[in-house]
Amino acid sequence: MDISPHVLAVFDPEVLWTIALGTLGGIVIGALPGLTATMGVALLIPLTFGMAPILGLNMLIGIYIGGIYGGCVSAILLRTPGTPSSAATVLDGYPLAQKGEAGKALGMATIASFVGGIIAAVVLAALAPQLATLALKFGPAEYFALAVFGLTIIASLSQDILKGAIAGLAGILIGCVGADPISGISRYTFGISGFASGFAFTPALIGLFALSEVFSQIEKILSDRVERMKVSGIWPSRADLKGSLTTMVRGSVIGTFIGIIPGTGSGTASWISYNEARRTSKTPEKFGTGHMPGIAATESANNAVCAAALIPLLALGIPGDVVTAVLMGGLMIQGLAPGPMLFQQHPDIVVGIFTGTFVATIFMLVFGLLGIRFFTQILRVPRRILTLAIVVFCFVGAYSINLNVVDLYTMVGFGVLGYFMHKFGFSQAALCIALILGPMAESNLRLGLMSADDNVGVLLSGPITATFLILAALSLLLPLYRSYRGRRVAVAAQ
Amino acid sequence: MKTQWMNALALAAGMTGLFTGSATAADYPVRPIQVIVPYSAGGGTDLSARIMADTIKKYLDKPMIVRNQPGGGGSIGTSSILHARPDGYTLGTGAQGPLAMLPHYGGVDYSIDDVEFLALMGRNLMVLAACQGAPFDDAQGFLDYAEAHPGEVRVGNSGAGGANHIAMEGLANAAGLEVKSMPFGGSSAAVTACVGGHIDGVVASPAEVLPQADNGGLEPILVMEDKRIDVLPDTPVPSEFGIDFAWSSWKGVIAPKGLPEAVKKTLSEALRKTFQDEDFLSRMKDMGEFVDYRTGDAYRELAEKDSKTAEAIIRKLGMYGVNQQ
Repeated sequence: MDISPHVLAVFDPEVLWTIALGTLGGIVIGALPGLTATMGVALLIPLTFGMAPILGLNMLIGIYIGGIYGGCVSAILLRTPGTPSSAATVLDGYPLAQKGEAGKALGMATIASFVGGIIAAVVLAALAPQLATLALKFGPAEYFALAVFGLTIIASLSQDILKGAIAGLAGILIGCVGADPISGISRYTFGISGFASGFAFTPALIGLFALSEVFSQIEKILSDRVERMKVSGIWPSRADLKGSLTTMVRGSVIGTFIGIIPGTGSGTASWISYNEARRTSKTPEKFGTGHMPGIAATESANNAVCAAALIPLLALGIPGDVVTAVLMGGLMIQGLAPGPMLFQQHPDIVVGIFTGTFVATIFMLVFGLLGIRFFTQILRVPRRILTLAIVVFCFVGAYSINLNVVDLYTMVGFGVLGYFMHKFGFSQAALCIALILGPMAESNLRLGLMSADDNVGVLLSGPITATFLILAALSLLLPLYRSYRGRRVAVAAQ
Repeated sequence: MKTQWMNALALAAGMTGLFTGSATAADYPVRPIQVIVPYSAGGGTDLSARIMADTIKKYLDKPMIVRNQPGGGGSIGTSSILHARPDGYTLGTGAQGPLAMLPHYGGVDYSIDDVEFLALMGRNLMVLAACQGAPFDDAQGFLDYAEAHPGEVRVGNSGAGGANHIAMEGLANAAGLEVKSMPFGGSSAAVTACVGGHIDGVVASPAEVLPQADNGGLEPILVMEDKRIDVLPDTPVPSEFGIDFAWSSWKGVIAPKGLPEAVKKTLSEALRKTFQDEDFLSRMKDMGEFVDYRTGDAYRELAEKDSKTAEAIIRKLGMYGVNQQ
């Protein structure tokens, strides 16, 4: 089959222009807390009604890719994850900004996003139909094991294992609020119907990371210890890039893998990638203090998810995450049912989307690098004013997602919680991971047990399940073993 | 210059109407109409509402604006529709879950009696499909197998207590069977598990089932309608096996009780034209939506009937009033 005409169709000025516009819009949407890539795509679908499929779909893909990338901007500059997928970028991005290296951090995030996006796009174009079947191998038992493996990140992420465990378990408990996934009965909602589906996730994140930081800043402002952030350097050094190269590639592979598995998404991918980067690093103690590979890990993974999530969508008609589920709506409106038949009946669309993914990723790199200079200007705003502006953003962002006042209580509640956690050395990241993975572990464990007639042996015996559980055990035991050996060496040295 | 003045005047007039309510119902609508969708942007209900808003422009002088207010399985948005001022400027999509089912679980601050039904837009038909590796591949096989193995057939649905869950339990009830209903986090997760062979059956809409059926990922075996449907002409319906059961989920346009008669008439008329509009029908068809226009009265009848059926099933499942405060 000659695919070149389908590829060239994307390089039509009108199509290019639309993709560029979509990507730019996506970056803005992603950077604004409370506007997520999902919303961007959903709200613009009606606009694509009248467009040619290649035009409309590639615009949506541009928004998707730009949106996931854009989240890193506010995460790094304001400690406000613009999208849930950049929550992990806060850990090293914000300390770098505090050191006056926001430009470098954004540069690294942009390059990592690009690498992740391109690697996943190559995999998408080359192997989509072959890899898609991986998506079908994941049943409740496999998801449960993946979630358990993800939860072990908490152990290696925490300086203080006990405090990390407390934060993680608190997160799991908080994740239990809302309708019981199996019986549908409301749990711990105290009769407030707004909590019937649990705490809204993005408002919770905004509170946990952004509002809590506002409280800390106010404390500093009141005690007059406010330091103005310097902004220097907009380009990561050659050494930074070299030091992050393996991390970026690893992050891209992790992101691609997680992206193919439906229902997991970029949040999970970026945490797992961050953890792997930290675990394999020679200097794990530097993570969380403003370490370049930390940003490289999360941003390469979450952008790899974008292209990878298109794999099961196009090849099987199964959306890999919420955004692709909405994208599927966009495809259906055009009268295109995704699935293996799409590849045979509409190769122009499939090739067009593959090409569009590459093009959008390149636009993302260009806009991102050009934008750094402008993004970082925000830090020149005096702290007092900026802090106030962030408060406004927190409230507007948390409200705009569901237009529900209850979400504001959620945001403020998590803000207070986050402030005290930070003050007393409990990891907010651990809580965040548990909020993502706790509910996933619970519902899949219970579904898996139902399916296996409550036989735990049957539940845990699948090859994928067993592999993840062994990995989970190893990732728990290795840090313990290391600290044990470290202590022995220390004792021996005395 | 003159037109600018006219616009400003019109705007001022509109604003006056807004604040004093002095515009009479006969002038309706003098400002944009808000349609609350009680689900997230991008879902089937949301996209249908957006296509409706796009089409109704032809038949109403003022635009319709879609506003998403998700949460609580649709109860939060539905509650704000039903507690809005009944002036015709706040409408909403009335879906089966929040109207006919959630009140039976308790914990919502409205009932089906608070609803002004304007027009039914469409229905989501329910299809039972056999999954990869299931021990049956047609309806008779399913009925026989489920009878011989009570409580063993694992049937996935879109969520606990949702329309698809009630559909399966209702069918099992009517057929005298017992199955193991497994609630997934959404239809797409359930269908994926089905294609992957992790469950035996799934209840989903034709739009969700058909692409997978074409790829051989699953096999539609029963459509929960009274008559066979066009898109699945070879798939039987329950009555062919002597089972008296039909169930579909639906959505339409609702308002709070107490709309002025003239407003109700204007809206009903515009909605009727919209739901019979060629453009609207073809777009909805492409999206896999099943349009079934019915008048407000017929819509109410359907909703009340389903509410009764759902109540009986929910009571049987022991879930009646579980969320009552």
